[in-house]
Amino acid sequence: MARCIRMLLLSCLMTLLLTSCWSSQEIENLALYSGLALDVGEPAPIEKEFEAKGATYPKQNKVMATVQIVPVKTIGTNSQKQQDQKKPYINISGSGDSILEIFRQFSIRLDQPIIGHHLKVIVVSAELLKQQPIGNVMDFLLRDNDIRPSTMVFVSQGSAKATMESNIASEVPSFHIMGMLRNRSRTSKVLKPVTLSRLDSLIYSERSFMLQNLVTGGEEVELSGAGIIKGSSGKWIGTLNQTDTQCLAWIRNEGTAGTIKVNEGNNNVITYELEDMKSKVTPKVDGDDISFHVELSTEGRIIEVWNDQAPSSSHLNEEEVSQLIKKQLKDMTEESIRKLQKKYQTDVAGFGNRLAIKYPSVWRKVKDRWDEVFSDSEVTFSYELQITDFGSFIED
Amino acid sequence: MSTMIEYIPDWSTWGMAGIALLVPILGHLLYQKVYHFIGTGTHLHDAAPTTPSEPSSEAGNTFSGNYDKDLCYIQDKLGANSDVCFREFTLHQLGVRGTLLYVDGMQNDRLLQLKIMTFLMYEATAEKLASPSTDEAGLPFLQLQEASNLDGFNHAILFGHFGLLIEGMPIGLLIEQPDARNRPILEPLSEALLRGPRVGFTEILSENTSMLRRQGMSDQLEITSYRVGTRMQRDLVLAYMKDLVNPDLLKEVQTRIERMDMDFFAESGYVEQLIEDNYLSPFQQVQNTERPDRVINALMEGRVAILLDGTPFALIVPATFSMLLQSPEDYYERWLPSSLLRIMRFGAAFLALMAPALYISFISFHPGLIPTELAISIIETRQGVPFPSLIEVLILEVAIEILREAGIRLPKPIGPAMGIVGGLIIGDAAVQAGIVSPFLVIVVAVTAISSFSIPTYSAGITLRMLRFIGMVFAAVLGIFGTILFFLLLCSHLSKLKSFGVPYLTPITPFRMRDWKDLFFRAPLSLMKRRPAMMKTQQNKRKS
Repeated sequence: MARCIRMLLLSCLMTLLLTSCWSSQEIENLALYSGLALDVGEPAPIEKEFEAKGATYPKQNKVMATVQIVPVKTIGTNSQKQQDQKKPYINISGSGDSILEIFRQFSIRLDQPIIGHHLKVIVVSAELLKQQPIGNVMDFLLRDNDIRPSTMVFVSQGSAKATMESNIASEVPSFHIMGMLRNRSRTSKVLKPVTLSRLDSLIYSERSFMLQNLVTGGEEVELSGAGIIKGSSGKWIGTLNQTDTQCLAWIRNEGTAGTIKVNEGNNNVITYELEDMKSKVTPKVDGDDISFHVELSTEGRIIEVWNDQAPSSSHLNEEEVSQLIKKQLKDMTEESIRKLQKKYQTDVAGFGNRLAIKYPSVWRKVKDRWDEVFSDSEVTFSYELQITDFGSFIED
Repeated sequence: MSTMIEYIPDWSTWGMAGIALLVPILGHLLYQKVYHFIGTGTHLHDAAPTTPSEPSSEAGNTFSGNYDKDLCYIQDKLGANSDVCFREFTLHQLGVRGTLLYVDGMQNDRLLQLKIMTFLMYEATAEKLASPSTDEAGLPFLQLQEASNLDGFNHAILFGHFGLLIEGMPIGLLIEQPDARNRPILEPLSEALLRGPRVGFTEILSENTSMLRRQGMSDQLEITSYRVGTRMQRDLVLAYMKDLVNPDLLKEVQTRIERMDMDFFAESGYVEQLIEDNYLSPFQQVQNTERPDRVINALMEGRVAILLDGTPFALIVPATFSMLLQSPEDYYERWLPSSLLRIMRFGAAFLALMAPALYISFISFHPGLIPTELAISIIETRQGVPFPSLIEVLILEVAIEILREAGIRLPKPIGPAMGIVGGLIIGDAAVQAGIVSPFLVIVVAVTAISSFSIPTYSAGITLRMLRFIGMVFAAVLGIFGTILFFLLLCSHLSKLKSFGVPYLTPITPFRMRDWKDLFFRAPLSLMKRRPAMMKTQQNKRKS
């Protein structure tokens, strides 16, 4: 009996040894992808070669996904690695109908499984968003457990794949794009990033929203303006330029810094640096009429003055200058709102939110056709500008 | 009804639940079986293997009164020992013969020896010798005992007493305690402090107890003595504050001491292992220390100290987990830095235990939990490493443990050089050779340094040992295994007791009052009461 129990216990212990390392995968045997670009479906050049030899599967090429894998595998220890200055990333593209299927297709091309824990940046091309609603394109990325909800989403004018290229050695473009967002402290042309978790709620509530727009040129990337996604259809309908983006960020009370430049006369430039910018949107409901009043207030300094007549800034009249800036500001904001209301007929500046907070009952009535209602409502502005100083200069 | 049946889980779920139920029960049974198989190490049935403190008085040969016969008997018993000296002389006042017996090297005061000889040979009179221990006419010796039988006399001589045998007297006299050479009192080697007394215990018990006495004047410090060991006996004392110590605790300690059954106690570690509650536990339930100030602080909290002759390590019971990470310096320095250091020590203990396990689980199981930049640099550095992370960590950890073990045994001048050779050269060479990644070298180094910051050496060994178990858990189940390992440790610790005091007090059972001296060391003005866990007779520390 005791012998029997001993054997049983021993065999129980032996099974522990058999388990070895469950589901263990060493980190160096995994391929982390830090960036993902989604383009209109079209076989990538390498894929075309494969397909010519019959290496293909049934698909309609609805979308092309490009993943950026870091770091590149090297042989030997790090001392040898420094000698060849190759790019620290690999981009691999594949086209197909489902993003997961494309990812699994990568598994028959790569020697390591790709994992999405470290995905930082998703760039979707505007062309693709014209054809497909954003909800379809992002569906897998929102469902997948590995991909973090903090992943940032961008839209690109032109090819999204191109934003994942860089000509600077030892730089990973997806990290570069993510790093560019740090400059929000310098200019409000950089929007508050839309993360996957925010995108999820935006798609679900069918609200229109902006995604930061990426423009490429000469293997460099610029954050320029914003792409507008229409809530009802989930498709891309157009781009706002940089000035509009700055104004809308201010109205949404998300801006922190920036500049306003006034061209006065023929060669006189006055630049105002925004040190503090605030906005207060007050909805007004009068029967069926909905209108908004936006109070924009700012504090800042005059930091650059080009003047033909007087070299010194001491002659500047504070009152005069602030009138000039206010006028410029008025032009900018009104142009932006006009564009939203007339050209795109969408509310991406958060007016709907304000209304929902202040007049929930009114909001419930209009929320299904809010974009149209917003286009007809009146938006008025008031500006408050305080010039704190004119920088340092020599008194003459 | 059918909807209810729908919700009853299927057989595989029941099976898993059954296994989940059986595993702890089987584990417990196995534990009990092992415990039963090895036995407790103490003799529960045999109540009195130890003898009380007086020299053994079992029936032996009594003195016959015949000088030659007695001397012959003694010579017969002890004469084979080359270090026993027999000095025969004549007492001139009386004209009788006498013999002084002693072990060479146990009585070192030459002047004293000379005086004794002079007294005995020329001054000793019949009256004085007739009643040696009475006050007025007694012999002028500080220490004087009469041995009632010959075997006891022999024992005492071998232990270092001067023995005196005089013709015509039916007793043997024992004069002067053994006075063997002792090393000087040094700073304790295993528990060095920057601020605090620089004395450590020595190997001589009487010196150690005197050190405790010298800590302060109190008539409540009671030191009771025992003889332990069945073949070679040794002195052992219990020290406690009479008006503080919980009587139940004292009784428990006394019972356990009396029950010890071992032919010889070479070091207080023997005592520790024979009186501890659970010898299967990796944690020590008795604290050992070389510092008299630590002992006296423990006594003032109502604990009991056990000192054994022949070792500088005193034992403090009961021990709790928090004591292992406390240093006497915590109380000597001001409370803010002390609290900070103590919290740091808790952090270091956690690192010493878990850092390699966490490394393995992050590297092999959860790459998503590492910050991206770090993940990339780890991947880059691990490119050439041919082993899975467990093997990699084991290689370096075992190397470090070997180095530490070797470092203890090395002569003092070579020690640091060896540390440099081992730490720097082997670490760097292993990275260069691509056996381990540089990141791991950092992890292992941090682990090693953390384990050095634990003030009690024995507690450090425990954590070093458990670290390897943690690594295996991590290698099998990742972070899940690491947490499982931690939970197992916690459940074991919460069950463990030291002399009836739960090991994890005051965390569990929760005693808010004792938290003032756990992670933080509250200002002394707030320490108005003794620890609640000790259940002392007098609670207040301040009048």
